[in-house]
Amino acid sequence: MSIPTAKLKKPTLKVTPSSRAMNISTSGILRLNRSATYARSINASVSRKSFCLAADSKILEKSSVQTPKHTIQVLDENGKDVTPRPVYQPDPAAVQSKHSKIFASDTSGGTMSDFYSTTYQTTTNASFAGAFTRSLFGSGSVSIGSQSIMESMSEEIEDPSSKRDNSISLSDVQVKREEVKELIQEEMLDDMVDLYLVESDTLCLLDMPAISVSVDSMEAESVKERNSRYTELCKNRTGNDKYMGRSMQTFNGASKTKEVQSEAITMADAATIANNWDMYDSFCSAGQGEVDLSTDTDKASIAEMIHQNHGPTRTMERTMSVISSSTIVSSSSSRMEMEPFVVPSESKPDPELILQSEEFQQHLFVMERIILENIYQPKLAAYRQLPTLEDPDSMPKAVPMVVSRREESSLDEEGPPTPALERLWSFSCELTTGRNVSSMAWNKRNPDLLAVGYGQFAFKDQKPGLVCCWSLKNPSWPERIFTCQSGVTALDFSASSASMLAVGMHDGTIATYNVQSREKTPVIDSSDCVHKHTSPVWQVRWINHERALSGEDKGEALISVSADGRISKWFLRKGLDCIDLMKLKRTRNDRFKRQVGEKERKSEALISRQAPGLCFDFHPTDSNIYLAGTEEGHIHKCSCSYNEQFLETYQAHKGPLYRITWSPFCSDVFLSCSSDWTIQLWRQDLFTPVLGFMSTQRAVYDVMWSPKWATVFGAVNEGRMEIWDLGASILDPTIVNPASPGVKLTSLLFATETDCVLVGDSDGQVSVYQLKNFTAGEGTQVGTLEDIIGSTLASQL
Amino acid sequence: MAEVEETLKRIQTHKGVIGTIVVNAEGIPIRTTLDNSATVQYAGLLHQLTMKARSTVRDIDPQNDLTFLRIRSKKHEIMAAPDKEYMLIVIQNPSEQPQD
Repeated sequence: MSIPTAKLKKPTLKVTPSSRAMNISTSGILRLNRSATYARSINASVSRKSFCLAADSKILEKSSVQTPKHTIQVLDENGKDVTPRPVYQPDPAAVQSKHSKIFASDTSGGTMSDFYSTTYQTTTNASFAGAFTRSLFGSGSVSIGSQSIMESMSEEIEDPSSKRDNSISLSDVQVKREEVKELIQEEMLDDMVDLYLVESDTLCLLDMPAISVSVDSMEAESVKERNSRYTELCKNRTGNDKYMGRSMQTFNGASKTKEVQSEAITMADAATIANNWDMYDSFCSAGQGEVDLSTDTDKASIAEMIHQNHGPTRTMERTMSVISSSTIVSSSSSRMEMEPFVVPSESKPDPELILQSEEFQQHLFVMERIILENIYQPKLAAYRQLPTLEDPDSMPKAVPMVVSRREESSLDEEGPPTPALERLWSFSCELTTGRNVSSMAWNKRNPDLLAVGYGQFAFKDQKPGLVCCWSLKNPSWPERIFTCQSGVTALDFSASSASMLAVGMHDGTIATYNVQSREKTPVIDSSDCVHKHTSPVWQVRWINHERALSGEDKGEALISVSADGRISKWFLRKGLDCIDLMKLKRTRNDRFKRQVGEKERKSEALISRQAPGLCFDFHPTDSNIYLAGTEEGHIHKCSCSYNEQFLETYQAHKGPLYRITWSPFCSDVFLSCSSDWTIQLWRQDLFTPVLGFMSTQRAVYDVMWSPKWATVFGAVNEGRMEIWDLGASILDPTIVNPASPGVKLTSLLFATETDCVLVGDSDGQVSVYQLKNFTAGEGTQVGTLEDIIGSTLASQL
Repeated sequence: MAEVEETLKRIQTHKGVIGTIVVNAEGIPIRTTLDNSATVQYAGLLHQLTMKARSTVRDIDPQNDLTFLRIRSKKHEIMAAPDKEYMLIVIQNPSEQPQD
């Protein structure tokens, strides 16, 4: 309605649209114009004929901002300048924004909204004005606002091509608006500000053209005519020839069915159960999966890790069939962050690689031990003094056992059970058969580890020696095998560093091995040492010196005695080196000279002035004092502080001494055994032995005190193994165990924790025997021993 | 490596050992002393069992893991050492009298 009225009163309006080639440096009002025209175009999209905001802004152009070239003036009929002043006065000095269309297009949306927000205020005014206009319309009096509206209505010039520029100006508008705001903030707030209230433009937001026309309007006549013509036409239509109704039929295309067959979609059910550990794994791997995605090795590890965590879930559905290889880890590395459960492809590990892998060896190792435990369980349990498990399924075995037990029990009822030895098992393998067991030693830290040295005693038929470390858990194969260039004659484990094993050999070499490593070579060897032994080393021992001697660091030292008559102490100083603690001089002739005026023997041509040393033992509490036994049969008590003279000499044996050992319970008492078939019990202060033991006419190779009972010791001679209990009898051994025919027993070792005895023989077997029914009586063993000694002495005197 | 072969041989010659099987993760035997059908059967069945056992162990404590599984039956004892790449199985008759 407003439009026709506008047409009625078409004021002469001279609007000079500003040229498109605008100077940017000129006012932003121009831009405002453009933006307004843009707004106008938008409004046009809403309704074709609408109020033109742009016209207002065009009118705004003629505001007070001076733009000499591009001002547009609105003049009404009377020629009055009715250019409305703009509501918005941008700062002409404001920075002009770029002419970038992209920027404009980006911000157009925003600026449009801003523009609309600012125009909202004007809209209200416009609506008011509009209302005002309409109400006043009939009166015909035109206010400035209404006039402006009408004028704007007439303006239907659209410049679609300027839309783009409008958008630019929109952004400018926004920019300037903000800048203006900033300036305000910076200014002093105390300034007097003049406010001018001006009626704003009328904004048209919605225009719905009326369908009906007022009777009074200009078009009323034409419209009426048209309407009437149309009704007549409709009336005439029915019978008129001009109009004919005709039906048409469209062709339907012939249809044809076409079948398409696709491959059957294979479905696979996948299920997984979110276990406790599954979630734990994914949590762990998700944290780790993001970290190392770069290197190949890491990828492999991720693959392993993910496969590991995924394996348990997936294998539930996974059959034994070959899994098709999935994506390579490298490509899925980015996916890993999102899906840690992608099963990566592993190059399926080569079977050979599996066999050689560390874990496989470890598993084999454990498996072997378990198998052997199954086999040896009763024996091992007896060793450890645990109750043996009866196999409920092995019936036939049980019967004869029961019978024998009954017999035994019947015997037992008669008297106290006789002490006996039960053979549990033996350490041997095909490597060791035929070799002579020369020495045995327990590991100080792990009481299940036993080191056995194999080497011939005699000078002839020497072959390369062998050291085997056996574990109780595997009696059929040693844990470590070390091959030495000559026969092994002495062994000892260190106490401070429990994996060091010192080995003395037949050619005088001393070597230390580290049993923890898998290397076959010794850690250090004395073959380069200048002062090395030139004769077989018969004993080595790690001794802990509590008191430092002559400024040397205290700690453990390796002491060795050898057949070249020297007792040496070895230490590491740029290589293995030794100092002599003692040189064992031949004393026989001296002694005899002193005692008897004349020599009993003619002086022999001496090969050396040293007496070969065969054994030694340090005092259990005083590490300065030690005893040394020589081939002559003398026992020398020496001190570490004197290396020229002996403190004492004990002479009783007529043959080479094979072993001297202090009693671990009585610190004054020691035992010695020699090839003269005797074992002598000495007390430190007496120069003649207190007790002597002889059972057979064989050389006694080894003797050892029992670590558990003070009155018990074991001895091994060529033909048999004997356990002596001094509390029971001082004349006969309590237990005698003969050796297998053809085999000589060569060494003896008590087990520290249990009452078992190990015996090594010349066939390379180390047999483990358990002492059964063996009690050495109650009461303090030490007291018993001392009583025995005391009574013996008393009886002697 | 020679040591591995030696150890495997030793295991097979221990008293009472009926068979030794090494299978890879897919159940393909790498080393076995039994015939193929028995191998595949043992491998398949034990695989499922070890998975279940491992799941059980880890459900109780996710930081724990299964290292070894032994099944004692009337006639035999089956020992399985599972791993993510392979499984080592040994069947032993522990109460068997030594042949030699």
